Amino acid sequence: MKNLKKLLALSLAFVLAIGVSACGSSTKDGGSDTSASGKEVYRTLDEIKKDGTINIGVFSDKNPFGYVDENGEYQGYDVYFADRLAKDLGVKVNYVSTEAANRIEYLQTGKVDVILANFTVTEERAEEVDFANPYMNVSLGVVSRDDNVITSLDNWNKDDSIIVISGTTAETYLTKNYPDIPLQKFDSYATAKEAFENGTSVAWANDNTEVIAFSLQNKGYTVGIPELGSADSIAPAVTKGNDTLLNWINDEITSLGEENFFHADYEATLADTYGMDYEDSLVVEGGKTE
Amino acid sequence: MNWDFIMEYLPMYERAAILTVKLGLIGIAFAVLVGLICAMIQYHKIPVARQIVAVYIELSRNTPLLVQLFFIYYGLPKLGLQFGPELCGIIGLAFLGGSYMAESFRSGLETIEPIQRESALSLGMTNRQTMQYVILPQAVSISVPAFVANVIFLLKETSVFSAISLMDLMFTAKDLIGLYYKTIESLFLLVVFYLIILLPVSILGSLLERRLRHAGFGA
Repeated sequence: MKNLKKLLALSLAFVLAIGVSACGSSTKDGGSDTSASGKEVYRTLDEIKKDGTINIGVFSDKNPFGYVDENGEYQGYDVYFADRLAKDLGVKVNYVSTEAANRIEYLQTGKVDVILANFTVTEERAEEVDFANPYMNVSLGVVSRDDNVITSLDNWNKDDSIIVISGTTAETYLTKNYPDIPLQKFDSYATAKEAFENGTSVAWANDNTEVIAFSLQNKGYTVGIPELGSADSIAPAVTKGNDTLLNWINDEITSLGEENFFHADYEATLADTYGMDYEDSLVVEGGKTE
Repeated sequence: MNWDFIMEYLPMYERAAILTVKLGLIGIAFAVLVGLICAMIQYHKIPVARQIVAVYIELSRNTPLLVQLFFIYYGLPKLGLQFGPELCGIIGLAFLGGSYMAESFRSGLETIEPIQRESALSLGMTNRQTMQYVILPQAVSISVPAFVANVIFLLKETSVFSAISLMDLMFTAKDLIGLYYKTIESLFLLVVFYLIILLPVSILGSLLERRLRHAGFGA
């Protein structure tokens, strides 16, 4: 009886493993297999309108871009925009909290309709999801302690590590360009912040908006490298192929530009952290970067 | 399924598997030690220590490992106690595993009827001899199934190590998904590697169970 059970369990494990590989092998390389099964995972604009609720993926721990305030309400630059999207679409909004590393999966599996989680546009990501027009500028930055300000990543001391968040552009950039620097990886902003404050690493690399905000909100830290790598932009993303929703968002961003919506968004959500100095360098109005 | 991708990142999984097994085994070794001490304290009903052990067991068994790790890794530095992530993982596993091991050893010890102990003592065996030749051999063989279940449980629990930035199997899979968006491949490798680690443990465990079945009294 015991042996039989064991045999059964073993064969089940095998069937499962083979099943997984068989399912996978029917799809092409590249990973964007959302439409391979013939049934689309995303909801079109009409379907969302009919349903009356749009699911938007935002951060819940990235103050001041997307976070949950003390009353349990989602707040921040991204959320301000998301609220407006839902209002103009005439639907209710359901916020889904995401982490950096699962933003693409959430779209590919249809768990959310739009990702508005400070999502930096990159070529690799654009192969997996469709980006709308940008609404913010961003680049990478590195923050370190005042007593040991890091201003360059060259001649790196191998005993020191840099904190990054799994699935961010900072991780991709450092992995590609500085493979020798040890990275300490965390899966959420909250834990990365906590670990950095506890002094486990000498520096923290992330979007420069985030590290500047961190150094302004916390005493004793300096952004030694304010711009690293190329200047990028941040845009809403939808599931690959969801053109109706994508076009609508693009039109919306264009028309919001006429009322200077994103400047108002900045003043409402970011001005407290950054002051007015960064307004023109951060905000992208009407979906057009210079 | 992109096999090139799988081949390319296989070494990363191997490193992660080694880390998982290494931390898992060290953690389990300490868990066994903690468990033995706690079980002995409870079995011999040592005052004060017994109450402390009881509190520890309830605390450890009724909080998730993730919470314990967060406390050790993010909380303790606020009190001036800072450990590296690997050490935190081991401490967490020993803390959680210790109580489970203690319970399984205790249940093994308690199944041995007091009459056996009394008989052994009346035959002139010392306390130590009674423990060594009468109680422990039976108790250990009775504890084995629960012990093996605990080992597998603890090895699986290492999957929450990612929360404290340890590149274990789970984190490697999540990281690769985040970096290259190869969800199916990364998860496939994850399942395969956990099976590679855990299947032998479970098979060895049932062999061990059968091998040690010989001991027993009145069964």
